[in-house]
Amino acid sequence: MKRSLPIFITLLSLLFVFTQCKQQKAKNGKKKMAVVVSTLNNPWFVFLAETAAAKATALGYDAKIFDSQNNTATEGDNFDNIIVAGYDAILFNSTDANGSVANVMKAKRAGIPVFCMDREINSTNAATSQILSDSYSGAVAIGVNFTQQLHKKGNYVELLGLVGDNNTWARSKGFHSVTDNYPDLKMVAQQSADFDRNKAMEVMESILQAHPDIDAVFCGNDGMAMGAYQALVAAGKATKVKVFGFDGAEDVITAIKENKVYATGMQFPKVMAETAARFADEYVKGRRDFPQKIPVAVELVTPKNINDYIAYGKK
Amino acid sequence: MTAIQRNNTINLARLQSVIALVVLCTIIAILSDKFLTMDNGWNVLRQIAVNICISVGMTLIVLTAGIDLSVGSILALCGAITAGLLKNGIKLPSADLFIGFTLLGALLGGIIVGSLLGWFNGFVITKFKVPPFVGTLAMLTIARGLTMLWTQGHPISNLGPSFATIGTGWLLGIPVPVWIAGIVVLLAVFITRQTRLGRYIYAIGGNENAAILSGININKVKLIVYSIAGALAAVGGIMVTSRLDSAQPNAGTGYELDAIAAVVIGGTSLSGGKGSIGGTVMGAVIIGVLNNGLVLLNVSPFWQQVVKGAVILIAVIIDKGGNKK
Repeated sequence: MKRSLPIFITLLSLLFVFTQCKQQKAKNGKKKMAVVVSTLNNPWFVFLAETAAAKATALGYDAKIFDSQNNTATEGDNFDNIIVAGYDAILFNSTDANGSVANVMKAKRAGIPVFCMDREINSTNAATSQILSDSYSGAVAIGVNFTQQLHKKGNYVELLGLVGDNNTWARSKGFHSVTDNYPDLKMVAQQSADFDRNKAMEVMESILQAHPDIDAVFCGNDGMAMGAYQALVAAGKATKVKVFGFDGAEDVITAIKENKVYATGMQFPKVMAETAARFADEYVKGRRDFPQKIPVAVELVTPKNINDYIAYGKK
Repeated sequence: MTAIQRNNTINLARLQSVIALVVLCTIIAILSDKFLTMDNGWNVLRQIAVNICISVGMTLIVLTAGIDLSVGSILALCGAITAGLLKNGIKLPSADLFIGFTLLGALLGGIIVGSLLGWFNGFVITKFKVPPFVGTLAMLTIARGLTMLWTQGHPISNLGPSFATIGTGWLLGIPVPVWIAGIVVLLAVFITRQTRLGRYIYAIGGNENAAILSGININKVKLIVYSIAGALAAVGGIMVTSRLDSAQPNAGTGYELDAIAAVVIGGTSLSGGKGSIGGTVMGAVIIGVLNNGLVLLNVSPFWQQVVKGAVILIAVIIDKGGNKK
């Protein structure tokens, strides 16, 4: 074991040299922006983080992405590192509306401005500005369209996201604020599929055994919408059952074009990420008067207007 | 203990998990008339096929008194590699090189990467004496990271109809994933019961020092077992990817726990040396039936996790009762 210690140290050093190669190129004098994102385990957030980093780089900053792995404590560690490393601004996608406030306050005390993207934090004096996706209203719009498409009656299934996630309930509540007003519109099953495509397919397969005669499915994100659609295809019911998603991800935009999935709520991660990066740049250059909250509307995408949209945004 | 007594004990232990399954099925069947249908039966079997593949590999490892926490990540990586090879091939713009892959080539690519990662697990465990829990925990993170690198965090979708057959097709009235899982189980039963490798696996788990003293090359056996588990995780990854027509970067998260649960419910001892592939299959079926039944009955998602944990606990306690001397 003793002999392998030098080997171990050599390997470790090589590993660091190797992974640091890219960063070495950056000049020391450049200003730095940190992108802190709730998770990189979901393509939507990867897109949000990458767009923010790309915009920051285009504005002449060194940008680095930090992954909080859906864990507020990991997020706190990220903030500590960012403060120590002396970043000039933080483009932030929070893990938790309440839990993340303390982390943002930490940065504020250290004099680093924080710009929230997509997800809100429950404090009006912590972040410099919050550019937010309006999940609740988006889900209301889907609920309205859903009710129309079903002619106010029928049986439907709802697939929820992670049951511990704010967005899961914002979307579900927005949707039900409309559909629950119609007594002939019956929700025959409400199950969680953790925002996961595979889980959604399995859950949907089982639901179809119990309720073979459904008319529509509302899914809390587009990954689950694709999973539900695949279960419907396997059961030979894809043409009879309308699938509704939420996000505006690539697969679903293609699927709507091909009349596979019916509708989704388009969020605008590109708009949010680029606005946040632009604000941060302006802050560094001296601007201080930022609006506390900028809501970015979620738009309903259906076969009627699908040609105006591409994945994660408008054409 | 005589041979006859031992046989009785094993049969009794097996009987316990069969009884647990029958009780579970009866309860669900009483509460939902949709449960005992042909369609739903295939449905459950198709859903547990992936877990069975992983759990079989896990059983072999647990029998040697090891554990593998990396199977979920290896599953995701190999699924993504197969999908990537199939869809994009390998491009090296710097060398102006492009290699395309046929379906078979892509499948082999995924399975080879899986067995190499498994082999690496075994290498770290045998060569550097790293405890399996720690070594494979490291691999869990490494393989997940490699998946992110390979996919750049985005799913790889639309993989073509012939690839989709693996996860969604039927052959002679039986779903293809069920065939695959069935073949994997039969091979594993054959290995554990009929081959020298199988006897060595039990011997190492029963008493490692005794196994060394009796001349068994335990490092070689462990390397083989971990490689098999890696390859089976790859097979699982290919099935998941094919079913969804999409390789998801976060696929397989937490699958290692489902596999360990199946192994434990099936009566395999985590300290090694005792257990069987048949038991693990029973364990996987119990978990699958439970997942299916809770959804059929529209049990609240909050309660589902509590019920699942409780059933695992009850199954293991019943099993312990059966194992009492």
